[in-house]
Amino acid sequence: MILRLARAYLLLLALLALTVASSFVPLGFGNTAINLAIAAAKAAIILVVFMKLSTNGPLVRLAMAATAFWLIILFGLSWIDLRGV
Amino acid sequence: MSEATVSRAFVDRDRERAADSFGMWIFLATEAMLFGAILVGYLIIRLKYHAAFAGGSHALSLPIGTVNTTILLTSSFAMAVAVETAKSGGGRIVRRALAATAALGLAFIALKGFEYWKDVEEGLLPLLGPFHYGGPDPHHAALFFNIYLMMTGIHATHLIVGIGLVAYLAAPSRLPEGRQAQRIESVGLYWHFVDIVWVILFPLLYLVQP
Repeated sequence: MILRLARAYLLLLALLALTVASSFVPLGFGNTAINLAIAAAKAAIILVVFMKLSTNGPLVRLAMAATAFWLIILFGLSWIDLRGV
Repeated sequence: MSEATVSRAFVDRDRERAADSFGMWIFLATEAMLFGAILVGYLIIRLKYHAAFAGGSHALSLPIGTVNTTILLTSSFAMAVAVETAKSGGGRIVRRALAATAALGLAFIALKGFEYWKDVEEGLLPLLGPFHYGGPDPHHAALFFNIYLMMTGIHATHLIVGIGLVAYLAAPSRLPEGRQAQRIESVGLYWHFVDIVWVILFPLLYLVQP
């Protein structure tokens, strides 16, 4: 189990190195896309391996799904509003 | 006779444990709303004034930001080790892992404090000192620096609370092992959440490209 945690930790450090290194290559919007994708991957690793999201019962999963749902509303509706600005 | 519950609201420990962990996840959901709302504000302003944000981001110290991210990821690893070993009752290892977690958290705060001081010296934080910024669109870059200070400040406040909780758990406890492990697990969830917030803030603040 500790080995699994250590592997996740090394993967997180590798992703950090990748995101910092990619910022030295000018890709325009590509940089933002890479950075956000890597941040999402790191967050997912922490959630699944360190916080053990998948071993929780349906109640906790439902709470997380609700969080994601409200965040999607928050970001989605704000984005719709922003298109007219 | 099963293990006694901490609160009389529960008939047995299993139910209490389930409620403990559910309560922490619900709390983290409310925290996600707090940071989500701030993030939406950040994204809207960044979309409007991208050049100012890229200039402001470039003025921040990428080496300090990167080292601090490494420190926080390492602290999360130490916390995960503490949670894991606490379940199998490894008393001394648990306390050491918790002490390492708190120490790494303190190192993050110390480095962040030094960075704020450096930013103020360079005239980058209009809320804390005189603003002398030579980059593009200083008016809106000031907005970037204000949002930077607010986001990292709220994050640091959360981390300081976490350090206090982890340090408390690292001290010798008279609680039965099972209850102590449950507490460590709940605080661990909070600690990892604060780590996730930083993982998202880091590219948004330090790595904005023109």
